[in-house]
Amino acid sequence: MLQESFYKEISEAIVSLDRNKAISFAKKAIEENMNLLNVVEKGFGAGIRRIGELWEEGEFFLPELMLGGTIVQESMEILLPYLKADKEDVTSGKVVIATIEGDIHSIGKTIVATMLSANGFEVYDLGVDVSAEKIINTALEKNANIIGVSALLTTTMIGQKKLIEILLKKGIRDKFKVILGGAPVTQNWVNECQADGYADNAIEAVKLIKKLMD
Amino acid sequence: MFKEWLKDDSKIILFDGGMGTEIFKRGIKPGKLPDILNLEQSEIVTEIHKAYYDAGSDMCQTNTFGSSYMNLQKYKLENRIKEINERAIENLKEVCPPNHLIVGDIGPSGEYKPPIGKATYEQWYSSYLKQIKYLEPGIDLWHIETISDIEEMVAAIQAVKEVSKKPIISSMTYKKTKRGFFTIMGNSLKDCIEKVENENVDVVGGNCTLGSKEMIELIKEMKNITNNPLSIKPNAGKPRLNQGGITHYDQSEQDFAKDILQIVKSGAKIVGGCCGTSPKTIKEIKTVLDDLV
Repeated sequence: MLQESFYKEISEAIVSLDRNKAISFAKKAIEENMNLLNVVEKGFGAGIRRIGELWEEGEFFLPELMLGGTIVQESMEILLPYLKADKEDVTSGKVVIATIEGDIHSIGKTIVATMLSANGFEVYDLGVDVSAEKIINTALEKNANIIGVSALLTTTMIGQKKLIEILLKKGIRDKFKVILGGAPVTQNWVNECQADGYADNAIEAVKLIKKLMD
Repeated sequence: MFKEWLKDDSKIILFDGGMGTEIFKRGIKPGKLPDILNLEQSEIVTEIHKAYYDAGSDMCQTNTFGSSYMNLQKYKLENRIKEINERAIENLKEVCPPNHLIVGDIGPSGEYKPPIGKATYEQWYSSYLKQIKYLEPGIDLWHIETISDIEEMVAAIQAVKEVSKKPIISSMTYKKTKRGFFTIMGNSLKDCIEKVENENVDVVGGNCTLGSKEMIELIKEMKNITNNPLSIKPNAGKPRLNQGGITHYDQSEQDFAKDILQIVKSGAKIVGGCCGTSPKTIKEIKTVLDDLV
């Protein structure tokens, strides 16, 4: 019962975007030898999920999303070394994410990367203006489950299709789920690219990836 | 002339439609800033401006959406800020008919304040100031548009006022949430309107992000908040790429123009289009507006 109220306190610290409190809770959990898997899932995880709900309800906006995501990310960095033995249990999956070649828009992609990381994914953010080949090579090297490709411009979104064509050509399309992001992306485009899905915002992206990983 | 138009109750001012999407249709290379065409392929830019005036636009805006100092830096073009902005005016002047206006277009810096980015008020202000001084001599009024942070908008307005006495249209971009219209940074419609009114802008507006149907709702809410003249430039639905990689927008021009009529009836003084709209859209709006009179 005591533990349940501690988890709740953590979650509340995340939702009220209190970085110092969140980090001190992470340290306290380690010092007191708590079950860290539960702390992550029921405390920090619950907090970041609530932030997602508040975004959907129109209560939270980009600054809150980014701040909440960063606080959970920082807390996880403190907790992860102590979770090493159980790392496979806390990692929801590996994601390689980038904005495609020719496109320098980073905000959407960075927020998705932050939220995924806060939700327990191991995220490799390659930045902006990244070639399809480099994204694929990193995904192979890291043994990723998911490739996320962002494009804000209708002229660069063609690169999302190119990436999947390369995967098909190399015969490794089945190794990864490929998801698309960016303002101009629609379900029609996903179908045409033979991608696995797209999301309108970071919260949807987390949901989509969780669904694809099931 | 613009201020007379604003005072004339029978006048609805027809703005232009999308520039970026029209440029992309003509096959610009991915990753290129559309504004660089002012120098490299000015005939394309001029052709698009002309098509808008021919379609019935009372005023068209310079191809300078991305030509603020901070945005040009991202493309390593900041050293060319003077020529890009000055040529933008020349390209528009060449085809602007008598009794029509030239609008100086100011778009977002592309940089956000913390916790998302690192931008500060001072950076925004000085970035806009650098662009504005090159546009000021050749334009009739300003359109500060597609801004999603009210602080950035205020910085842009104050930079304009530093060097210019010309009228300002201040147009934020909103998304629709369960609690009403907000910017992605969380500024409410009411907050945005009050803050830009404090800066004494001439016209309050909304553009981009929302389509024409949602803009009908937006204008009604705006009308409840302010008595200032209102400007609306909606997007034409969502873009789609066909097999050849050419962009299409699903919404028909007729459908868009029908919504614009509703937007005018709900109180807009200035109407036009944003992403995905074309001279065809403006022509359709012109027809609808002529019937109204």
